[in-house]
Amino acid sequence: MNKTSIISIGFIAVMSVFPFFADSAWLAVGITFLVFSVVAFSQDIILGRAGAFHMGHAAFFGLGAYTTAILNTHYGWPILATWAPAVIIPVVVALITTAPIIHLRGDYLLVTTIGINIIFLQILENDLFGITGGPNGIFGIDVVKLFGYEFFDQIDMYYMALILLGITLFIMKTLDGSKFGRAMFYINKDDVAAQSMGINIRYYKLYAFAIGAGLAGAAGSMFAVQYSAVSPEAFDVLQSIMFFTIVLVGGSASLPGVLLGTFVMFVLPEIFREFETARYLIFGLAMILTMILRPRGIWPVKFGNIPAFLKKGKK
Amino acid sequence: MRILPRVAASVAVCALLVTAGSAADVIKIGVQAPITGKYANEGQSIDNGVRLVIDQLNAKGGLLGKQLEVVSCDDEGKAQKAAICARKLVNEGVLAVIGSYTSGATEAAQTTYFRNKTLQTSDGTSGSLTKHKYWTFFRNSFRNSDQAAFTATYLVKEKGYKNIVVISDYSGYSVDLADSAAKSIKAEGGNVIYQGKIKSGTQNFTAVLTKIKAMKPDAIYFAGYYTDGGLMRAQQQQLGIKADFIGGDANDNPDFVKLAGKSAEGTILVNFPTADFLPYDAAKVFIKDYTAKYGKAPSSVWALMNVDGLSAILHAAKETKSLDTKKISDYLHALKDFPGITGPVSFREDGERINTKFNIYEIQADGKYKIINK
Amino acid sequence: MDIFLQQIVNGLTIGSLYALVALGYTMVYGVMKLINFAHGDLVALSAFAGLTVYTNIFADGGTSIIAVITVFMFTAAIIAVVGVLLERLAYRPLRTAPRLSAVVSALGAGLVIQNAIMLIWGPNMKIFPSDLFPSTIYEINGVVITFTQLMILIFSSVLMIALYLFINKTKMGTAIRAVAIDQDAAKLMGINVNKIIMIIFIIGSALGAVAGLFIGIYYRGITFDMGWMYGLNAFVAAIIGGIGNIPGAMFGGLMLGLFNALISGYISSAWAETFTFMLLIVVLIFRPTGILGEKVAEKV
Repeated sequence: MNKTSIISIGFIAVMSVFPFFADSAWLAVGITFLVFSVVAFSQDIILGRAGAFHMGHAAFFGLGAYTTAILNTHYGWPILATWAPAVIIPVVVALITTAPIIHLRGDYLLVTTIGINIIFLQILENDLFGITGGPNGIFGIDVVKLFGYEFFDQIDMYYMALILLGITLFIMKTLDGSKFGRAMFYINKDDVAAQSMGINIRYYKLYAFAIGAGLAGAAGSMFAVQYSAVSPEAFDVLQSIMFFTIVLVGGSASLPGVLLGTFVMFVLPEIFREFETARYLIFGLAMILTMILRPRGIWPVKFGNIPAFLKKGKK
Repeated sequence: MRILPRVAASVAVCALLVTAGSAADVIKIGVQAPITGKYANEGQSIDNGVRLVIDQLNAKGGLLGKQLEVVSCDDEGKAQKAAICARKLVNEGVLAVIGSYTSGATEAAQTTYFRNKTLQTSDGTSGSLTKHKYWTFFRNSFRNSDQAAFTATYLVKEKGYKNIVVISDYSGYSVDLADSAAKSIKAEGGNVIYQGKIKSGTQNFTAVLTKIKAMKPDAIYFAGYYTDGGLMRAQQQQLGIKADFIGGDANDNPDFVKLAGKSAEGTILVNFPTADFLPYDAAKVFIKDYTAKYGKAPSSVWALMNVDGLSAILHAAKETKSLDTKKISDYLHALKDFPGITGPVSFREDGERINTKFNIYEIQADGKYKIINK
Repeated sequence: MDIFLQQIVNGLTIGSLYALVALGYTMVYGVMKLINFAHGDLVALSAFAGLTVYTNIFADGGTSIIAVITVFMFTAAIIAVVGVLLERLAYRPLRTAPRLSAVVSALGAGLVIQNAIMLIWGPNMKIFPSDLFPSTIYEINGVVITFTQLMILIFSSVLMIALYLFINKTKMGTAIRAVAIDQDAAKLMGINVNKIIMIIFIIGSALGAVAGLFIGIYYRGITFDMGWMYGLNAFVAAIIGGIGNIPGAMFGGLMLGLFNALISGYISSAWAETFTFMLLIVVLIFRPTGILGEKVAEKV
């Protein structure tokens, strides 16, 4: 068992017993942490592993959240039934929207993914077909019901989120060791060389987008239920920037790095509410300083598949 | 290894904060308002107003022998933040929440408060706020449809406008008000030549105004917020559109005049009686106390309405000698004519406030309001 | 017909402002391959700074030409300094770092500037006085153009022509173009690359400052977070016109402004950004180097 697996399992173990020491307020913080970790990991798959400059991830998170919201409030679907669409729809949208642009050079891909996010936001805010709710969003989302039992307590939500995180970590672990994981790693390091080895870059990048979008969608669904309401500003470009930054500042493709990044970006502000107003200022400074001092992230991946002496420093 | 110090630090931090959170024997009152963001001056007024009332009550011995504490949460006027605030305030164990200023932020939080049996009072005017008839919710202002009917009568019967344009933004409140207005205007026999939407915050409305100009309107009714209304009025004059500008209640804010500049003069506003025009002594006393404590007057009447909602709840708690929110709610629904600073407060069973009246104001050259209704 | 012409006037006005901001982006990207995400926030900062300069120096509200020119120059100078500091502190240390690190730093810098604005000037909307420019309105055949709009069009055109001449007809301009093509070769030719980069930031920031002031005067209401979206639109304009290409940025900006105005007028202003990005995607698919062609060296 390598180090990453030990950290994953240890982390899950700690998080499993956390609810016994925490009250409602802290559980809510914990749920926030778990849900956003899943999104951060899904961003990591696309950005950290496949190396695609993706700054529109909040759109996929939002697609999952809104799918659950719309199906539940407009069409009366029970929450559990909305989970499948909440995963599938972001995947489909991701494939359709990124297929025509996946070949673009890094910076252009970046700007276009921002564009996808913005188009998503406008669809929400303009209340398309009368179902997306406008700038105020959709309220009154139901809770998870199974056999007549309502899973509404914070403890219930917490464990659901924890299970989702567990699934996410498992997927990432499997990916790493698979053909897909190796292919992405090589694409990330040098895509021209990878292409000449016969790796179909387009296919693997789209694959990464699909998985990332699906996981983000699942997390979005959970987010919708936790707050009983969704609205466009939870999925705006600033959020996408946050996810993008978490991966790079924490450490691309680094499990503890991404967790640390999520903790700093989403949990600390909940705790230190006195700094609420200066929060983004501190973030901004932290982002600049971290990149200058540790350009590969705070907790970068130590072990890759290529021995250290074969790795060069630049890009 | 670097891991151990990090883990230790995190655990220490968590332990510190868990212990810091324990509360003494106080009653908590929550405020959910746009303390920052584009409606910040309204949100801050609401927060200040609530704190003033609580401070005064604490000085007199508190409620049922306990001191009161205010917990504020900034929802930035946004629905998602509102939902998050609702979670937070509920988790803090507040008895009641005053909030929010916008209907959107109010509605986003409503379900969470209802599920957790926390009382909520808000100045939001959108009809949808009472559609669920939640027993936890009490509207302390008036609803859009009443305002729309009043406005329509003014536009059609009194002023006799022939070509009326109705504009809203995309928020639930604004669309509701605009739709009600258009319906009422048509019911009175008036003519709505165009009903459109602008996106709040875009600041440049020349595109839609140019479109309207060609239709030669004689009245433009704007059902959105002051941050857009002021600019729209200024741009309307700039483009040379010779129509009267009538704004709904959310245009009532000093910033409207600032944004419209010279064009503010001649604008008509429809609202509940504003703070200066409230004929009640209690209102004048409150405004005086507020100004003394904060150095400036409350930004508008909305803060005062919320204060009435708070006062009614506190009164109900005192009278029922209980902190059981269902008992308080039942008492409030039965309450008749509680003397509030914005007039007598009574609630219907669906949470609506009854017996509200409106004024029509014309903005003068110096930015002051003049009542022009009969 | 005059509705169409009116929209054209509105569109060109906004487009000129986009063009001024786009120039800042395109120059920096052409030389450093960096999307200066903080640029839009600098534009916002200039609006706030300009307002403060105006209210403090001309407390009684002068509208003379001297007053206006002073405010513009003062503000442009302040923002140019901030721009240089930005480059020095947030970008220079990352010249040899992986590309994404510089992107994060730029985003961080943008957040810092945006929040500094909020902490200094407060979170509420600030309002520009309406008398900075006279409120005269000219009407030609039913098409209205205000004094402010006219000033924007004239001023921007003058600045853009001046910049074009500078880049193409002066020695310094040639040096800038050389650095844009190949930094190392330029260094070998004796060009002080650091100094050139500093000059680019000064020019870009100053142009952005002019745009920011005009935005304040034209739109009147300014908020601390208005810079980001504006900057993004301007960058999109730069890409559409052709990144690294000065006429491209000007063209892109004007085109985007017109496109926006026409969409807002004939369809709905609520979908303006959607159409903008769809236009971007279409351009990138069919003409990936931008309409006027990009001028960056691609190292394979």
